[in-house]
Amino acid sequence: MENFTVNRTDKEDISVLYIGGFLDAHTAPDLENAIQNLIDGERYKIIVNFNDLTYISSAGLGVFMGYIELIRNNDGDIKMSNMSPKIFRVFDLLGFPTLYDIVDDEIKALENFK
Amino acid sequence: MKEISKLSLLLPLALLIAAVVQDMNMLSTSEHSLTSIYIREYFVIFSLILSFPLVYKQKWASDRNVLRGLRSLFFLILFTCFLLILSNDRLDSFSDFDLDKNILYENIANYIFVLSWTFFSTIFILITLGTLRNLIYIKRKKSTARNFTWLMIFLVIYPLFNMPESFKYMNWVNNDNFEKLHYVILFIIINLMVINSFRVAWINYLNRKQKLACFWGGLLLIPIQLYFGYKFHSINPVEIFSPVLGKFVDTSIIFLTIYIVVAFLALLAHLPTAQLYDRKIRQISSLHHLSRAVSSEFDIEKLVVTIVKLTKEVTESDFSWLELEDFTTKQINLVSSINLREGEMRTRVPSADDPLAAWLKTNKEPFLNNQTSKSQVVKNLCKWKKDLNSLLVLPLIKGEDVIGFLYAGKKVEFGFEYDDADMLRAFCEQAVVAIENTRLVEESIIKERLEQELKIAHEAQMKLLPKDMPELKNVEMDAVCITANEVGGDYYDFFEIDPDRLGVVIGDVSGKGTSAAFYMAEVKGIMEALAKANQTPKNLLIPTNETLYRNFDRKTFISLIYGIIDTKNKNFIFCRAGHCPVLMASPGEDNCKLLEPKGMGIGLDAGNLFERSLQQLKMPLKTGYVYLLYTDGLTEARNKTGEEFGEERLSKAFTSVKDLSAHEIKKRIIHDIYTFFDGENATDDMTFLIIKGL
Repeated sequence: MENFTVNRTDKEDISVLYIGGFLDAHTAPDLENAIQNLIDGERYKIIVNFNDLTYISSAGLGVFMGYIELIRNNDGDIKMSNMSPKIFRVFDLLGFPTLYDIVDDEIKALENFK
Repeated sequence: MKEISKLSLLLPLALLIAAVVQDMNMLSTSEHSLTSIYIREYFVIFSLILSFPLVYKQKWASDRNVLRGLRSLFFLILFTCFLLILSNDRLDSFSDFDLDKNILYENIANYIFVLSWTFFSTIFILITLGTLRNLIYIKRKKSTARNFTWLMIFLVIYPLFNMPESFKYMNWVNNDNFEKLHYVILFIIINLMVINSFRVAWINYLNRKQKLACFWGGLLLIPIQLYFGYKFHSINPVEIFSPVLGKFVDTSIIFLTIYIVVAFLALLAHLPTAQLYDRKIRQISSLHHLSRAVSSEFDIEKLVVTIVKLTKEVTESDFSWLELEDFTTKQINLVSSINLREGEMRTRVPSADDPLAAWLKTNKEPFLNNQTSKSQVVKNLCKWKKDLNSLLVLPLIKGEDVIGFLYAGKKVEFGFEYDDADMLRAFCEQAVVAIENTRLVEESIIKERLEQELKIAHEAQMKLLPKDMPELKNVEMDAVCITANEVGGDYYDFFEIDPDRLGVVIGDVSGKGTSAAFYMAEVKGIMEALAKANQTPKNLLIPTNETLYRNFDRKTFISLIYGIIDTKNKNFIFCRAGHCPVLMASPGEDNCKLLEPKGMGIGLDAGNLFERSLQQLKMPLKTGYVYLLYTDGLTEARNKTGEEFGEERLSKAFTSVKDLSAHEIKKRIIHDIYTFFDGENATDDMTFLIIKGL
């Protein structure tokens, strides 16, 4: 079984989640927990940094869909950055770029929140 | 059997009546020959012997019900004494009786009195002997029955020496020898009485309360019994009626007295240890109880309650509680308690750094402290539980690890002994086994349930896929769905729109397992219902998305391609809703093309964005055009080194076989995939569909 990691850094009112490894149906609950923790702490401005992610399955994509409505209703957003072309391809095929702000790097994502 | 024994008592009664009738005869004639006296004695003896079923068939006492036997004995004796006191005056009037005077035959009232006494006391002594026999037989050994039977035999033989005078001078024995024989038998009978009197094992079956009751009962009974025995020995009304029977009753009462006195003394010896003995028995039964719980209780919630309850019972403590390590978080939690206050349960925060917990973890020994106020180790614990003065804690050890702690506490100082710790240690070993069992069972149940669920999901998925390929003019098709161990959510289907047109769908539901299979079924139902009424893919997918968006939970979506094969106009119109692109090989071209019209996955957006994003492509389906529709399981398939099969490899594989029949193309691609896998298993469903224009 492949590993999945999620680490969090808070930058003022914005939280950055660094995710790495394999995000599939088995590891999706870890990411769910991480996002749920942010919501519980009323931190709705979230950047997900995909730099170390090697694989994402449809269940992994589902995690973002599961929370986006609640987060946007609280004046927050999930912005995504540092995707490898392969990961971006998965998002792109599904049409995620029309739903989410997907940017090249974290700095751009931080700027977009301002 | 019971009927027979009841009837068998009629015979001795008949003999006794015969003896009485003979007496009546004598009473009227007032002359009595020696022969008639002898005949009468023989009647009485046979009557006695035939009454012995009363002794041997009695069921009043057993090791399960010692008390009932003792109680009946007690009341029998008490009742007899009561009668004895009532008839005291008349008995005293007999005190100077002489057999020769034959007061028996002078007065009819005396006669009836003596006769009823005889009858009653014989029955009484036989019943009593029966009860004693049952008590003696408790925990019987080989010799028990033999000793008792010999005693009974001698109890019958001995009175024969009390035959009227002339008997002694029968020819075959002289006076001297007769006297010696008399003493020998007396000696034997006393020995037998003593031997039988030591059979008092039934005391062990009494608990402390019952022993105390027996002690008071005995204290009351013994003086009465002694008085009764003495009175009967000096004036025995039965002896007036029949010397032999009289002797029998007299000797039996002596035996009864000896037995009661010995039993009383044994009881006295048992009394001081009764409490300890009771406690041991309780401990053993608690252990037994726990062993039973081990084999029958697979619910951890109930098991911990049992463990705590039994701990309290075994140690007779005021409160007891159990802390167990959580399987996953390794945190120690209070899982069950008895007699802890609400507030105490809430404020208890077990910590592995606590000096007591640390001590237990390193020593793996029971911890016993009888003066907690003077101990540093349990300082924290005493702050939490103020009325704790004696403490006994046991670590629950599984292999090398300590998986929890079992506490027992008392409000008094010096409440525990090392004996308690030893006892509880055995108890803890059982408890650990029980806890482990419940955990294992729980795991296996979960595993089994998941497997079962998976099986159902698999079956559902297989039923949703079409069984046969549709037959079409000028178009050849083939498809395959290679399922992984887990249901991956892949799906393909066909819908006939009219004789010339066929709807084709290939999709992938996000998520896995049973839920994926259910969503798949939903997609199938909706699309099948909408296919005929909506003549273009886009027209179909827009209401499909709307319906599914409402019904799916937000995490779930589906990517799919829906196309319509038109065999009349020879074209293939399709939309891509977030799915993998379509590979197209066309005649005269060496490379195949990726067709990727824009389109968002279904279930991601309520409607507007989806509708705007969706592009529809119309492609030719003339001779030589081949389309490959696939799911991401195919391109994301990984070999041992973690390398993905990828779009490039797939398009190469596809191009090289595009001129073959659809069925051959399918076989070759499957072959290529398995070659790439090189023994590795698929982790996701792999589905693809080939459409070839002829």
